[in-house]
Amino acid sequence: MPEQTTTEESQATRAIPTYDANILPDMLPVYYRRLFPHLPFYRWLSYGLSEDSIFCNREISFTLHDDIYIRYLCFETQAELEKEICSRNPYKIDIGPVMNTKPKNFRAGGLSPVQRELVFDIDMTDYDDVRTCCSGAEVCLKCWKFMVLAARILDQALREDFGFEHILWVFSGRRGIHCWVCDKQARHLDTRGRGAVAEYLNIISYVNVMGTNAARCQLGDRTHHSVKRALKLVEPLFEEIILEDQNLFGTPKGLSKLLLMISEDSARNELESYLQKTHEDGAHSRSIWESFVRYANSMRTSGNVLWSRKLKHIVEEVQLCLLYPRLDINVTKGFNHLLKSPFCIHPATGKVCVPFSLSAVAKFDPTTVPTIAQLLHEINAFDDKTKMDQEAPEDKSRIKDHKKTSMFKGVVVFEEFLRKLERECNQSKSSNMDF
Amino acid sequence: MDFHLKKRARNEIKVEVVSLETKYPHNVMIYNYPPIDDIQIEEFEDLALERLRLLRIFDHAGAKGLRLLSDDWKEYVNAELSREGLRNYLRLCTTSGANATGAKHEADIQTRRRDYLSHFILRLAYCRSEDLTRWFIGREMEYFKYKFSALSGPEIKQFLEANNFHFQPLTESQKDEIKDGLYESTAGQSVTKIELLDFYKVPFTQVLDLVRGRRCYLNAGYAYVNTHDLVSIVGTKQQDEIEQGLQAAKLLIDDVEADERIARMLKALHTSYTGKDYTVSREIAVPIESLDQLSKTSMPLCMRVCHEHIRTQHHIKHGGRMQYGLFLKGIGVTLEDSIRFWRDEFSKKMDVDKFTRSYEYNIHHNYGKKGSMVNYSPYSCLKIIKEMAAPGDCHGCPYKALDQTTLKSKLTSYSLSPSACEEIMYFVSRGHYQFACGKYFMLTHNSQTEVAINHPNTYFEESQNLMGNRQKRNPSSQASQAKSKIHQNLIKGHADRSMLMGQDDDELWRIAESQERAYQSQKGISEAFDDDLDLTEIVD
Repeated sequence: MPEQTTTEESQATRAIPTYDANILPDMLPVYYRRLFPHLPFYRWLSYGLSEDSIFCNREISFTLHDDIYIRYLCFETQAELEKEICSRNPYKIDIGPVMNTKPKNFRAGGLSPVQRELVFDIDMTDYDDVRTCCSGAEVCLKCWKFMVLAARILDQALREDFGFEHILWVFSGRRGIHCWVCDKQARHLDTRGRGAVAEYLNIISYVNVMGTNAARCQLGDRTHHSVKRALKLVEPLFEEIILEDQNLFGTPKGLSKLLLMISEDSARNELESYLQKTHEDGAHSRSIWESFVRYANSMRTSGNVLWSRKLKHIVEEVQLCLLYPRLDINVTKGFNHLLKSPFCIHPATGKVCVPFSLSAVAKFDPTTVPTIAQLLHEINAFDDKTKMDQEAPEDKSRIKDHKKTSMFKGVVVFEEFLRKLERECNQSKSSNMDF
Repeated sequence: MDFHLKKRARNEIKVEVVSLETKYPHNVMIYNYPPIDDIQIEEFEDLALERLRLLRIFDHAGAKGLRLLSDDWKEYVNAELSREGLRNYLRLCTTSGANATGAKHEADIQTRRRDYLSHFILRLAYCRSEDLTRWFIGREMEYFKYKFSALSGPEIKQFLEANNFHFQPLTESQKDEIKDGLYESTAGQSVTKIELLDFYKVPFTQVLDLVRGRRCYLNAGYAYVNTHDLVSIVGTKQQDEIEQGLQAAKLLIDDVEADERIARMLKALHTSYTGKDYTVSREIAVPIESLDQLSKTSMPLCMRVCHEHIRTQHHIKHGGRMQYGLFLKGIGVTLEDSIRFWRDEFSKKMDVDKFTRSYEYNIHHNYGKKGSMVNYSPYSCLKIIKEMAAPGDCHGCPYKALDQTTLKSKLTSYSLSPSACEEIMYFVSRGHYQFACGKYFMLTHNSQTEVAINHPNTYFEESQNLMGNRQKRNPSSQASQAKSKIHQNLIKGHADRSMLMGQDDDELWRIAESQERAYQSQKGISEAFDDDLDLTEIVD
């Protein structure tokens, strides 16, 4: 028996079709009809109908074939939304804010956002200068570690500092992650509030040094607790990610990145000649880093003015510059910003934008996220199998389609998130009714 | 607002005369209740102009690059207040009101009244457009913070009580529990000071400016702030009041302006401030063929950098397109020319179809021809300096964004002498970017007169004036232009969005973002499938 299953499995793996963007239009109708979690999706955006018009005034936008972009859509009921998605089969669904009136009446004017989840977008391309394994749209397990760390730091800050609890993490379909903070207070932050939270969490700035952008962050005399906490997460992984996996300082170009993070010209030149003296070209990052740390420490303890004042925290600063989350803060700041919905299909990769749980983020593998082609294959295989096994077609319909596929885990994460969210929404609803 | 009430009150007999002392009990007041006094039209005008002079002082201080409430800043503001004959306001800002007696006290109360009334009058003049509103709130808040900073401990307490702020300081044991966080994260106070100070627990949304700068301890959605930080909370409240007041004023503006005398005055005030309004493009069209030349002679560094980037890279990211595109509109490049300019460059890297689909909308949008139909203003220096450049961007203020070595070599490559570079770098290293820009202007134009650069379009205009290419705009045409703008605003008030803090760009960001993504993803598709579409033609 066990042998049989293995052969079956290997057959199934061999048969997994690769994704072909050209047949996406043929696959989307099946995906939306059978797999897209319409009900949970509605449960999310309706927030237990805890506030007036919270669902029906929400702006949704669809991207159809040939980049046709339809904005200001809105829906009264779950059935209407589902029907519209299934008939239009959008390439992409974006979620905007809840408006003061129905967004579809936008031509009448006076449309303004009332609430919207606080969102964060971290994109792997912003890490291109610190990864050597891939570049651009590619992503592998090595560079995914940047994302893992970024998500952890951000999640911890949102929970501990701001007291937010309902945080949904979503893989963006190719090389990035999105974060949706859905607490009531977060949803009701105004533009100023969003700006403040975004700036609070954004500690890195960029300066242009000789034509290349260098990351800089400045720790003062005392280090803010949120930065200190981030450092505690960054430090243990620095060696693994930067020195081993990426071997970032292993090339002259990589080494110059380290040097550019030093803001003082004279100190930079001294360090450069020191490192050149002690190392051959192409020395391993680990030994370069060790020398750098030793050099910085000895300069500091020997009372060098630059190194003991302005560059006092340079070792920590470099670590943060390389590993602290690189946020696209304009996404967070904008009350009006549209963001791609979870469970969309990324048109270039065919991958599902699946939610993932932060506690298991290290195990999340972006390279094995199921593609739409694979999912359709899986439901078919499942259906065939049950047909053969039981010859009981009415039984099949009882199992939800997404449970038959590798998308299952993502839906479970989403439902767990919803369960907690709804508990709170119902509480606030009933407490509203009491008064 | 007041004017309704005023008209009605005219025929009523005043039953109760409230003393000015009870009405204006403090030097610092929250502007929450619109005044219902009767005042003469002359006084109305008088107050308005006085307030304007006051606020302009803060504007100049900011433009000089002085840090708010720093010693230099105070010195400058105090000197200007005396020079402008605003000594009574100087007293409000620098002396504690409680100690004054007799005639001095009487005078202070009169100033408080003028302060209160004039603020509300200016609301009527500054609620008209987003730019005006932003300017007004910025200056008002600087003034407020200055006044608040002069209050003594007991006065602060009195103020808080009078305005229904109820703060309970943490008990010693509560403070002890979080002392590590307070030590690490309370900015601007030494550890020994922190031990002595009272701390208060407030929702983080009340002290957003402290949150933004990571200047306080934050835990579970609450900020822990000390007595010195209370100005932040009170300031937030004041700002909310002013913002809401401006919104309300905007709805009433038609009624107010039914009175011809007031309308004339308010409109004149408006033009007497704005002076430069670059939203509407100028009468002289600038041909795009002249841009290469102009970029060398008359564009400030921030625009020259963008221009050169486009010419060499044939692409520029969204932030740069906004900054440079709106600037071009401001100097008089027509919509048609603008599209031609961007298309010619971008199509060296992508096919024309792609450009039309992904970027043309944006240009139309900037000219107010698509989408929200708002005619966007070119960015001012303040906005450009505030922009954060990300990797691969070339917008923002080069004096701030470039590191000093790079900046120096850039200036040298524009054939500035080493000593000239040093003169510019002097300001750069002190963070006075606009001064640096002004210096650059003087050096490149061989001009001896100092120019204050607050707007890239001002730079351009000044340069053109100096070179004799352009007449100074005569005031009458300017006034009529402004007038027609007011008219526009009144007609389609809804198109003029009233929110603050750069929300005007939201829609653009969104569109640009999604289009950029779409472009990226398409690029991704073609890369993934080795489709040799137009990508082979990319020349780098």
